[in-house]
Amino acid sequence: MNNGLKLTGFLCLLVLSACAFAVETELKLLGDESDGSMSPPPHLIPVYAESETGEKGEQITPDMEFPMPFSTRWSCSDCHNYNLVKKGWHFNVMDSNVPPGRPGEPWVYYDPGLCLQIPLSYRRWQGTFRPEQIGLSEYKFTKIFGRHTPGGGPGEVDTTEADEIGRQLLSGKLEINCLACHNAHYGQDMGGLSGYAVQVSRENFRWAAAASCEFATVTGSASQMPMTYDPFMPDPDQKNAPTVNYHKEAFNENDEVLFQIVREVPNERCYYCHSDLYQGAEEKTEKWTQDEDIHLTAGLKCVDCHRNGVDHNIIRGYDKETDISENPLVATSTCEGCHLPEGEDEPEAGRLGAPVPTHPGIPTVHFDRLTCTACHSGPWPGEQTTLTKTSRAHRLGTPNVNKAAEGLPHVISPVFASQGQNGAGYKPELLATENGKIAPYKVLWPAYWGIIEQDNVEPVELSVVEKVIGGAFADIELAATGDWPQINKEMIAEAIKALSEAVAGRAVYIAGGKLYSTDESGNLVEQDNHPAAEPYLWPVGHNVRPAAQALGVRYCTDCHATNAPFFFGDIKIDSPIAAERDSLKRMIEFQDISPSYAWAFAASFVFRPWLKIVAIGSCAVMAGVLLLYALRALACIIKALASENK
Amino acid sequence: MYRTISIIAFLITLGGIGLNCFLRPCKECWRHPLKKLVQLFTMLFIEQKLSPAGVFRKLVYLLALLCFVVLAITGFYPTLVLGEHISGYLLMIHATFAPVLAICLAVLAVMWARNCRLNSNDWPWFQRIVQRVTLVQSADEEISCKSCIGQKIAFWLIIFLALPLILSSVLSMFPYFGTYWQELLLSLHRYTALVFALVVIVHTYLLIRPKM
Repeated sequence: MNNGLKLTGFLCLLVLSACAFAVETELKLLGDESDGSMSPPPHLIPVYAESETGEKGEQITPDMEFPMPFSTRWSCSDCHNYNLVKKGWHFNVMDSNVPPGRPGEPWVYYDPGLCLQIPLSYRRWQGTFRPEQIGLSEYKFTKIFGRHTPGGGPGEVDTTEADEIGRQLLSGKLEINCLACHNAHYGQDMGGLSGYAVQVSRENFRWAAAASCEFATVTGSASQMPMTYDPFMPDPDQKNAPTVNYHKEAFNENDEVLFQIVREVPNERCYYCHSDLYQGAEEKTEKWTQDEDIHLTAGLKCVDCHRNGVDHNIIRGYDKETDISENPLVATSTCEGCHLPEGEDEPEAGRLGAPVPTHPGIPTVHFDRLTCTACHSGPWPGEQTTLTKTSRAHRLGTPNVNKAAEGLPHVISPVFASQGQNGAGYKPELLATENGKIAPYKVLWPAYWGIIEQDNVEPVELSVVEKVIGGAFADIELAATGDWPQINKEMIAEAIKALSEAVAGRAVYIAGGKLYSTDESGNLVEQDNHPAAEPYLWPVGHNVRPAAQALGVRYCTDCHATNAPFFFGDIKIDSPIAAERDSLKRMIEFQDISPSYAWAFAASFVFRPWLKIVAIGSCAVMAGVLLLYALRALACIIKALASENK
Repeated sequence: MYRTISIIAFLITLGGIGLNCFLRPCKECWRHPLKKLVQLFTMLFIEQKLSPAGVFRKLVYLLALLCFVVLAITGFYPTLVLGEHISGYLLMIHATFAPVLAICLAVLAVMWARNCRLNSNDWPWFQRIVQRVTLVQSADEEISCKSCIGQKIAFWLIIFLALPLILSSVLSMFPYFGTYWQELLLSLHRYTALVFALVVIVHTYLLIRPKM
């Protein structure tokens, strides 16, 4: 057999294998394709553990002496293709082929003692850093941030760090926790004292899904176990060993468990990761003082708009998402998709009871310049932006969360910025945003230690920062509220000097929109408007306010006044450096509009009533003249006709 | 669409005026163009023989003409040249001069209406136009040179068009009209503005032409 034939044969085999793999990953199982019934099927199923080799393990029974945690992967995969689910937006973050789409909320690593507040993301959103850039492996990332993920993604990556391989064998992987979203049981515990978040922080990744469900309790901590501990051969004498106990009454005579699984995820499940707390001047921080999104109040569920099929390719719900999403319902699931559809074959308006907006008195130019959310979403803008807490950034809904308003990270909102400005836009063809339109944003001013090369700033790894900056700032007093400590510029200069000695390259510090470095004589040099110091912005989608509470409902001066927050509101510049904390920027600086023009245009609205009076008065005079002479002409015609008749 | 229609309309109007100049040339203009230009320029001045009312009327007319020029430039330049909607400082200038023009038009309507009413002198002109259109021949009548029916019609058209032009803009500022009506009012404003501008150009030409 010649070499060419061998090569051809090999290639054919390769193609066939690839096809077989593709078929396997795309294969729809029993529960992946609906037969048309709207009735949800009961999920009375046996549950399985994962074996030591990562395969389907033995069935969990209530009489097991040392049961292992059930694996969602192997328990659900009889009917649902796990590989298909993994493609979903919530789980595909590690897939570099997935377009990043519109910039979203980053993960924020913060440490007040190190003056750190850095946005992280595995997606290619400009302004964020990949976790490995600061030395966070997928394993460490999962331990810190896995608490507010539904599993999968970095939680399922095989670690390559030598010191983590053993730990991952012990902890297992944080596989996709189907229950995090689909378990409608009131006992689903994501943020409780022994719930999902706590298990993740204890490195009990393998146990996290079981701990979150209503019929299992997990104790112990894998992080406290020696690396030699084998969870598959549990030692009853080992203290703090991760252990799962199942409630025996949850199993039937066939050792099956009834899960309260729902197709349509309840809002409460979404809220665990997607809650916002806007801390205005009025201190409306209690749930009972706040209104929900108008859509929820109207009876809709989050998933009525944020829909997905079995591939879990959930709709994010922004205008240009159609450019990158394969979800067929993307176009009809935006604001316009429900409220302003123009059905060609059949009427589409009013889906889900969506009222078709009339926007009385709003010139149509607003729809070219603003997103729907600009007027309808987020809190009503005040004179100054407010600190905002989010579930994922502030660990909301988990035990011992810092409830102080000033607690880091400092997310600021609402900021009205043009899309495509200040890092909000990045490779439009990938992000598919409505460039140029003004939208409300949340803003994070990054604060991190870096090395500058030309104009590019790379963050310094955490281990180095902890060692050098931790040493330099060892004596600073940390605020009990979790706010920034009292840092002055001299301390920053000293820290940069110390860091320069520890790293190869020129050390800098980024904070409050400025780049700090030291000159040859060791003096601190500040640089404004450095690209690396730009704030990271991500859009505010919710809560949507009703039409009666939208911007502009009272009068144009809701926005077009010389002191209207929309253009002239103050944005607090967040910085660990005490002297910089009172710095402000104006909203207009984030918009692609000349400030003097915006001011002049707003000022002109003072004369708007006069303009109306003058114009209507002039029209009345002209109409009067026209009417008078028309009547006179008519009189002449009548007279002429009458004389002809004679 | 609007851009194309507007450009064609302006070309036709200006072409028509050019054709008229060509077919009925002003011999003096060709012989002494500079002199004629100066003469045209002096038309902008206030004549001493004018009564106070006449002075006021001329001042108002000149102000209206200035406002029209500013409004036409700020309104049509972004649409016809840049291919975009009016915005920014141009919009502000547009909105500043618009009420002044509205006042001037109202004053001119009051002051000129009597002079511009159609009378018996205009009848032969009208008859001739009807005959041309209907191709019905009748005994020729001498047409009075004093009749300026073109100017008069243009005047009444200007006053008539000013109403939808102004109201379409002003009414959209009240919170009574939704998006559909806003778009309709905007279209009405644009197309009325186009016709208004053409009529003003014709009216101005008809004012100048007899004095050339």
